[in-house]
Amino acid sequence: MSPEPKIIAFCCNWCSYAAADLAGILRLQYPGSIRIIRVMCSGMVHPEMVLHALDKGADGVMIIGCHPGECHYLTGNEMALARAEVIADTLEDLGYASERFQLTWVSSAEPERLVEAFRTMSGRLMLLRSEQQTSYAKKN
Amino acid sequence: MKPKLSFEWLHACSGCEIALLNYGEPLLALLNRVEIVHFPLLMDHKYTRPEREDLPLSLPEADIGLVSGGVAHQEHLTVLHEMRRQCRTLIALGTCATHGGIPAMRNQWSTADTLQTVLAAGDTEPGPMLDEPSLFLDRVYSVDEKVPVEVSLPGCPPQPELIAAIIEALLNKDTVPPANKSVCETCPTLRKGKGQTTIRRFLDNADYDRDQPVSRMRCLLEQGLLCMGPVTAGGCGGKDTPLCLRARVPCRGCYGPVRPGGNQLLDMKNALASNGIDHRSIVDRKSLLRFSGAHGLIQPAGKRR
Repeated sequence: MSPEPKIIAFCCNWCSYAAADLAGILRLQYPGSIRIIRVMCSGMVHPEMVLHALDKGADGVMIIGCHPGECHYLTGNEMALARAEVIADTLEDLGYASERFQLTWVSSAEPERLVEAFRTMSGRLMLLRSEQQTSYAKKN
Repeated sequence: MKPKLSFEWLHACSGCEIALLNYGEPLLALLNRVEIVHFPLLMDHKYTRPEREDLPLSLPEADIGLVSGGVAHQEHLTVLHEMRRQCRTLIALGTCATHGGIPAMRNQWSTADTLQTVLAAGDTEPGPMLDEPSLFLDRVYSVDEKVPVEVSLPGCPPQPELIAAIIEALLNKDTVPPANKSVCETCPTLRKGKGQTTIRRFLDNADYDRDQPVSRMRCLLEQGLLCMGPVTAGGCGGKDTPLCLRARVPCRGCYGPVRPGGNQLLDMKNALASNGIDHRSIVDRKSLLRFSGAHGLIQPAGKRR
């Protein structure tokens, strides 16, 4: 098993993808196991894409969109918020820990906030992994 | 020589076979074109052949095999593998075979829990248990999880016309058109855009004028009834109004997800949330997977990956 949890990050073209670009220019450090997928809007990420990523072996999935009220398409991030509630509820029903999913708002001028979100998510998944290993060891 | 047909049922209720028999007079013409070599519901037929007594199980060879029901027991698995060996084309018939169906709802408990609940006495004494509970599989599987199938035909039961059309298509060596449209595709109810934003209790009736046709009734989802139409594969009514809608009740989702890998629970909640309907007002949301619990979609509670 790889030491760092693999995270798929769906980044909105108009904010967080630009923020990730800026983070690179500023040489901010964040875990290398994060895979960024550019989407035109956080609201276009269907819950099945999140589930598909987890089914295929991703440790966690993030959807990162514009701050409320700042959506390039006016209400795309409201759609993302509604879908995020669905994802969080349903992951538990389908046997996944809901910690594996995170919705975050980041503007294009906030690379530090983006990197912080990546680090927090990575740390949370490390913790989840060690918790699950302990409970597995206890059972056997 | 006539093409040979072989039918088999696993974790099933015989509804799919009865649906075919319910085809009416055209069935006679169809039966004249084929030879049925194995059909446990209709014909007394042994599972071993005299010339192959060395084998524990041997079914006759066939050109087209139709299997209904999911796979829940070691015996189902043995029969299914034999069917796969003997049939050139295998059809998964009915929602149990394609998506697990109603029996797969038991996947929300472990097999041991299910046996205990079903077979044990209610209160004081532990009831009689089977001698070999280990012969039950760990959960209910769909047929395509265990063997490759050429054609999947969902439905609870599938429409007789659909079963016959697929058999006819295979006999004529035509390609079988995939079903990739939802129930809403053929639903004639009136859609006005925004409707009620909460989901009403299942026992509530729809509002409609009984003297008017279904095409004058407002979309049931817009009326606040949990209609599974948007996330369910269509075909139950042919090109006409879907069957449940004809009875003015919401679609229950018996044809399974629209796309083969779909998840009716996730898709339905997504459809509600994206349209501003309070998806948390659904009571017992897990039952949205009532027809498609195989493929690992329904898991025992408390299991967190």
